[in-house]
Amino acid sequence: MRRLWSYMIRYQGRYALGLACLLATGTLAMTVPYLLKRAVDTIAAGGPPAAVAWFALGIVAIAVAQSVVRTCSRFLIFNVGRDIEYDLRNDLFAHLERLPLAYYQTQQTGDLMSRLVNDITAVRMLLGVGFLNLVNTPIYYLYAVTIMASMDWRLTLASLVPYPLVLVIVKRTSRQLMERTLKTQEGLAAMSSRVQENLSGIHVVQAYVREQAEIDAFARLNETFSAQNMALAKVRGIIMPVMRGVSTLTTLVVLWYGGSRVIAGRLSLGDLVAFIGYLHILAWPTMALGWMLSILQRGRAALQRLEVVFQAAPAIDDRLATPLDRPLAGALAFRQVAFAYEGRASGRRALVDVDVELPAGATLALVGRTGSGKTSLVQLLPRLFDATAGRVEIDGRDVRTIPLATLRRAIGYVPQDPFLFSRSVRDNIRFGAPAADAAAVQRVAEIAALDRDIAELPRGYDTIVGERGITLSGGQKQRVTLARALLVDPAILILDDALSSVDTETERRILGRLRGVMRARTSIIIAHRISTVMEADLILVLDDGRVVEVGDHAALLARDGSYADLFRRQRLAEELEAL
Amino acid sequence: MTDEAGRPGRVTPLRPRRAAAEESLKRALDPHGEEALGKAYDARLIRRLWTFIRPYRRIFWLSVACLPLNAACMLAQPYILKLAIDRYVSAGDARGLGRMGLVYVAAIVGECAFFYAQYYLTMLVAQRSLADLRVRVFAHVQRLPMSYFDRHPVGRLVTRLTSDVDVLNEMFAAGAMTIFMDVLTMLGIVVIMLGLDARLALAALALMPVLVVGIDFFRRAARRTYRQIRERIARLNSYLQEALSGMTIIQLFARERRCFEEFDALNDEHREANHWSNIYEAALFSMVEALASISGALVVWWAAGDILAGAIAFGTLVAFLEYIQRFFIPIREFSIKYAVMQSAMASAERVFQLLDTPPAIVSPARAYAPERVRGTIEFDHVWFAYKGEDWVLRDVSLAVGAGEKIAIVGATGSGKTSLIKLLARFYEVSRGAIRVDGVDVRDWDLASLRRRIGVVLQDVFLFSGDVAGNISLGRPEIDTAAIEEVARRVHAWEFIGRLPGGLHERVRERGSNLSTGQRQLLAFARALAYDPAILVLDEATSSVDTETEMVIQDALATLMRDRTALVIAHRLTTIEHSDRIVVLHHGAVRETGTHRELIAARGIYHRLYELQYALADDAAAGRAAR
Repeated sequence: MRRLWSYMIRYQGRYALGLACLLATGTLAMTVPYLLKRAVDTIAAGGPPAAVAWFALGIVAIAVAQSVVRTCSRFLIFNVGRDIEYDLRNDLFAHLERLPLAYYQTQQTGDLMSRLVNDITAVRMLLGVGFLNLVNTPIYYLYAVTIMASMDWRLTLASLVPYPLVLVIVKRTSRQLMERTLKTQEGLAAMSSRVQENLSGIHVVQAYVREQAEIDAFARLNETFSAQNMALAKVRGIIMPVMRGVSTLTTLVVLWYGGSRVIAGRLSLGDLVAFIGYLHILAWPTMALGWMLSILQRGRAALQRLEVVFQAAPAIDDRLATPLDRPLAGALAFRQVAFAYEGRASGRRALVDVDVELPAGATLALVGRTGSGKTSLVQLLPRLFDATAGRVEIDGRDVRTIPLATLRRAIGYVPQDPFLFSRSVRDNIRFGAPAADAAAVQRVAEIAALDRDIAELPRGYDTIVGERGITLSGGQKQRVTLARALLVDPAILILDDALSSVDTETERRILGRLRGVMRARTSIIIAHRISTVMEADLILVLDDGRVVEVGDHAALLARDGSYADLFRRQRLAEELEAL
Repeated sequence: MTDEAGRPGRVTPLRPRRAAAEESLKRALDPHGEEALGKAYDARLIRRLWTFIRPYRRIFWLSVACLPLNAACMLAQPYILKLAIDRYVSAGDARGLGRMGLVYVAAIVGECAFFYAQYYLTMLVAQRSLADLRVRVFAHVQRLPMSYFDRHPVGRLVTRLTSDVDVLNEMFAAGAMTIFMDVLTMLGIVVIMLGLDARLALAALALMPVLVVGIDFFRRAARRTYRQIRERIARLNSYLQEALSGMTIIQLFARERRCFEEFDALNDEHREANHWSNIYEAALFSMVEALASISGALVVWWAAGDILAGAIAFGTLVAFLEYIQRFFIPIREFSIKYAVMQSAMASAERVFQLLDTPPAIVSPARAYAPERVRGTIEFDHVWFAYKGEDWVLRDVSLAVGAGEKIAIVGATGSGKTSLIKLLARFYEVSRGAIRVDGVDVRDWDLASLRRRIGVVLQDVFLFSGDVAGNISLGRPEIDTAAIEEVARRVHAWEFIGRLPGGLHERVRERGSNLSTGQRQLLAFARALAYDPAILVLDEATSSVDTETEMVIQDALATLMRDRTALVIAHRLTTIEHSDRIVVLHHGAVRETGTHRELIAARGIYHRLYELQYALADDAAAGRAAR
């Protein structure tokens, strides 16, 4: 709630104006039944008609004035609601941009999305409609009850008799409404993830002829969802009639009791008309009360959930950083580095005691089976994670003392999973260097052996690759990510199994062209093919998070350890085939 | 706006840049291709929706029947009020007044009861017909060809089935369908007022033209704005979704600031559209309220003279005031219902569009569905292109005998994967024919055909659930013993046995808690449990360690035993297990034969094979030079 308040303070001027308009609207609204009363009393007293005309004219004037202030009050307050929604969304996005990889590994995107979409909507409702009615309802009640009491307090009391009942009903139904709404949302989410998974694996479903089983499973979820919807509809449907029933009951009480007092001569006919008028004015705020309560509850719950996101502090903090006096050259050192993923069930350390040095401009290759820690090791360089123990250094500086943006700009990272954005090929390549000119883009595309592919795309560099690059092949995607990394002209280039979907011939071409690029910078290559790594200045063999062998190709062969073993096996298989 | 430093709630020092979102970005993010007009009523769509309501038309008509009853009870109330005042209050008849009170209560109870009945029945129809619609769409999507999924991202299809249908639900729930009844109710009020007193009725309705003009203006303005809002929120959310999925890339490329600016621009556009809709709605709402008051005032003014002259009774005035109030109630809800209807039409359009996509690949009317299958395959001058004339396969002919094992070899893009996808009829050949057991796959019963072909693709897909379910794929005839048996045979049992939950260990979404090798072995077990006559396999490329590799090779040998196998081979060991090698090059079969024959022939295969050495030699040469 504190956060919300800080947003509201920003718009205090418009809130104040909106409040003033609300107050004016309320005040004007209260005069209408009074004028009506005067008109009716005049009629009942037998004239003159001209006086009635004046009162009618008064009502017209007030209605016109009221429509102006009412319009203002509504759009002022609702627009502030939209403004705060906008601020909140921006702030959340900026915050999310600073959350580390570890956070995203524990969160499901779908989950976060629904939080950002539904919860922000709930907060906006709270600020717009919620705020307006929260202010309006007490104003209207205070005004109307005071005026009514001043006319006839007995009748006022009588007309308020049904209200405790109203409150009870409102509380009950709004609770049920909220519970059931949540249920349907869960049902919809369950159905969504089912469909999502089914469609992602549709090739398996079709290949194994499981369509009918999938349809049956979906139909069951669907059935549940329909039942949840129906349960919600039952509550939603009852609110209107009940509230309407109660409010008309009130009018009835006034008519009955008030009528008898008019007959008894204790109340003027005009008073009765005014009474009914006031009750009419109160009808809507009363009916809306239940709705307001649920908006309030939902808004508060949404705020709490958003607060959880805001409280997820960026684990990678940049406070130790001091500016550099010259650009990073790229000499690397891992000193006694250990690393464990936080909260992993196994609790096993991903890296233990890694101690390596690499001069600027050299090439380091990492070899080892899946899960041996290769990716974990390179992820420490751009600080996607921080080492649990030990130090990672670039040019002798602890990476934690290098400003994060400087550090990351110095690194060209080609990750295992080639993630592309639904932009044009050009924009994807320029992702890290939006200002790069056509010639530079062309150059890196050539190195990544993309030029021919791009020429064949329908709109060349302007072809939109679709969600996650859906229109490109796996190899093409990997090559775009390579070009993207090259374009930032990094001091350190990291290829994390980056050419796995590229065929051998293209790979050879790319590696040939990369040789020139790599000569000028520090490179780290993770690969499974010995042929890809044997050229490196230094080869690390990782096993279960430990460096088990280190040296260049010749040295490792001479050492006759697991690298030599791996090499021999690959060789042996090839020789066997040659027979 | 205050300055950024003074903002306590601000968590970011980033400064929003108020630029319009780039056109290219907008185009890339257009997730639905929103229809141009944004109609709130489209007879064609309503007719199609009706086909889903039709099975429940009795309940539907019952609910429709409640509408006039509800309206009648509602419209009776002011009249009862008039009678009460004119006959009993003015006469001082308290008992008569009491009787009238009871009638009034009955009218209210009737109104509420009919309202609830109508709402309940409508929702019943809505839930049933929308459930049917969802199942229909889901079943339809199951039958769509692979080519469809190549072009349409999964997320969008999920939206069709869930959110879009839910918008239709909201149309019923918000009572938008009763918009026609509202019009009738308003007409009823006009008729009653005219019946009560024609001149007074004219005074009450004097402002109708203003109302009509106002609503028409609103409708025009809102149509565009509401459409913009829908487009913009969809764009904003797809941007957000993508940014969340690719956050690591954004951070690695230090692109936070620019992405924030882009997000801010989209966010700002969305807000702006909403600002306008707020203004329109506020104006409409206030206008309606004002017109209600003014009409009341006009009636009082007009009636005053008549009442004083004794021309009309006082009760008539009260009834008129009540009728005017009720006349404006549906108009107050107009903007909400209009927005709901408009979204509903847009959603219905999209859902039906999906339903209209032809399944393209279906079984023929008289399909071939044999009891037993031998497993011979014949590619007969097969040509294939994913689109147009971009041939992926050119005139491929290949005959495979029952039980024969074929290794398909070739560079990426040579058409290997397409070849095996065509066999299981995931795609249709462009020219030529593929025959299984001598029968064109297009003449086969699709399910029978696919039941004979076990497919293992490179990218192993696992469903969330447990290990056992991923092997059996939920087929009841494969019991636990059978699952264990196949798992043992493909060496998957070694790791399954080590999992804490064994066969019942949870598999997370897409099998993210299992290694590549483990996933591969599970896919083998799945195929083995399927026991197909023909095995089609796209071998995973080299992303596992040598040890796992050996296990996989052994499992693969087991899997291929006693069946026809078509394997896209990336490993020489796999090639070794095969009877014949087929070399695909640029979509054409260039060489066939055994390893030795092909090496001896010194053709493409030889070149592909040499490449391994060539790479190694290059590297060695590079090192020697330094």
